[in-house]
Amino acid sequence: MISKLVQTEFMKLRRKGIWFLTFLGPFGVVALQMVNYGLRKDWFISQGTYEWFYYVRNVSAFTPFALILGIVILTSFMASIESETKAWKQVMALPVTKWSVYIAKYTTLVALLMIACLLLVIFTLCFGLYLGFDGNVPYLDIIKYSYYPFIAALPVLGLQLWLATVSQNQGLPITLGVLGVILSYMAYFLPDWMIWKWPSLDNAWDEPLVNVGLGLAVGLGIYLIGMIDFIRRDVK
Amino acid sequence: MEYVVETKKLTKKFGIEYAVADLDLKIPKGEIYGFLGPNGAGKTTTIRLLLGLMRQNTGTIKIFNKDLNSTRLEILKKVGSLVENPSYYGHLTARENLETLRKIHGAPKQRIDDVLDIVRLSDVGNKKVKGFSLGMKQRLGIAASLLNNPELLILDEPTNGLDPSGIIEIRNLIKRLPSEYGMTVLISSHLLSEIDQIATSVGVISKGKMIFQDSIEEMRMLSQQKISLKLDDNEKAWRFLSSKGVKVEPENDCLALVEQSDQEIAHVIRMLVENNFSIYRVEEEKRSLEDTFLQMTMEEKAV
Repeated sequence: MISKLVQTEFMKLRRKGIWFLTFLGPFGVVALQMVNYGLRKDWFISQGTYEWFYYVRNVSAFTPFALILGIVILTSFMASIESETKAWKQVMALPVTKWSVYIAKYTTLVALLMIACLLLVIFTLCFGLYLGFDGNVPYLDIIKYSYYPFIAALPVLGLQLWLATVSQNQGLPITLGVLGVILSYMAYFLPDWMIWKWPSLDNAWDEPLVNVGLGLAVGLGIYLIGMIDFIRRDVK
Repeated sequence: MEYVVETKKLTKKFGIEYAVADLDLKIPKGEIYGFLGPNGAGKTTTIRLLLGLMRQNTGTIKIFNKDLNSTRLEILKKVGSLVENPSYYGHLTARENLETLRKIHGAPKQRIDDVLDIVRLSDVGNKKVKGFSLGMKQRLGIAASLLNNPELLILDEPTNGLDPSGIIEIRNLIKRLPSEYGMTVLISSHLLSEIDQIATSVGVISKGKMIFQDSIEEMRMLSQQKISLKLDDNEKAWRFLSSKGVKVEPENDCLALVEQSDQEIAHVIRMLVENNFSIYRVEEEKRSLEDTFLQMTMEEKAV
């Protein structure tokens, strides 16, 4: 049942420019580094930071920002597809459970974001190879810095999907989303407990895995709370 | 009698306001049940409750003799519905819209062509729904509700926004469903004329309460007739009849007889003739169903 629902979710995304957006996010993040390295290549060399290690971290500086922005846009998008013509009632009058509809939405979002992360890995790798750093290619590092922020951003995903699906219009989720994007941009100044800081992988212990673990645990919690609230409410 | 839908004491509150109160809805199998009521009477709320889109505060709902809350999925497999305004995905074609629903029902692909044909949208099946007229969207909604070949079809104001020829088309379609496909149909409307032409059973709801529920014939019986007399001198005749103890009411340019038994009328006319009144007309004035309906819902307001 869930797989059928996910298939229909992807059908509903046709012609909405979602795939372009999925491509644009990771491409934009790497494109910023194209500008950075295009303009300041000599400076990096003079500093002795013209290496894979620093390159991967430079790329990942903009990943949380793009990720949160992507989450906000995608969640509101998926919810508005249903709320525009109040199609929730049509979907829920089908022989499906409410929780399976919510899971299908969530799964679709996770799939799209994972594809975006995969593209980020590929783009990072390609431009890195083009720059021709010395030493071995740090494949694991690139994968970590592409997928860790995503896992750490799961609480934001859960929160945004919850708000987007239960709100009559998308004003509230978008407002909070934009706020989240701004917060993620100044992650360095935020206290460790704020979920918008987590995708930056920065914390007091200097251990990215703390954020990943927290992201998974809290993300799952918010996901469940959102789903329970969604089930509890009358269909609009 | 076998009921497809049976609710007992169904109640739904919004805050302190009762949207539906102690509603006992009974829809016999194979009937077209007209669910009538003014705007805001609770029709759509009732329909949403029947589909499990809302949860009732108290009361029970049985569909196909099974409890809705515990066997919702099983029941919904055999139910088709169109609630309020049609829902659609504007950026998808009519065919794609139906496909998103067909996949979940697990109906054969051929069914999409079938239902498009039934509502006569085959020509525009590959056009985006965004550009459809309201009537076409409404018909697409009906097509969607027929996808799973339901045993119970619930249509909430299905002729809203249709032009006269569209209304007739949909009406003929709905009339065919019970005999050809063995469906039971619940159709809601605030227009009695609409219901009068297709329904075999009627339920009238006002302010969340069921105020009448029976066959359409019973409802027609309720619309009592009235005998009006037109005479050369209404004033004089009125005084004469009143003095004889006959209850009459002057009405514009005629007199209305309240008593209606055949003997009574014959008696009144004989008296009038014998007393040299010239009788121009004796007319039976049927009160339209519309009036009956209006009176029913008005009485409810007065209480």
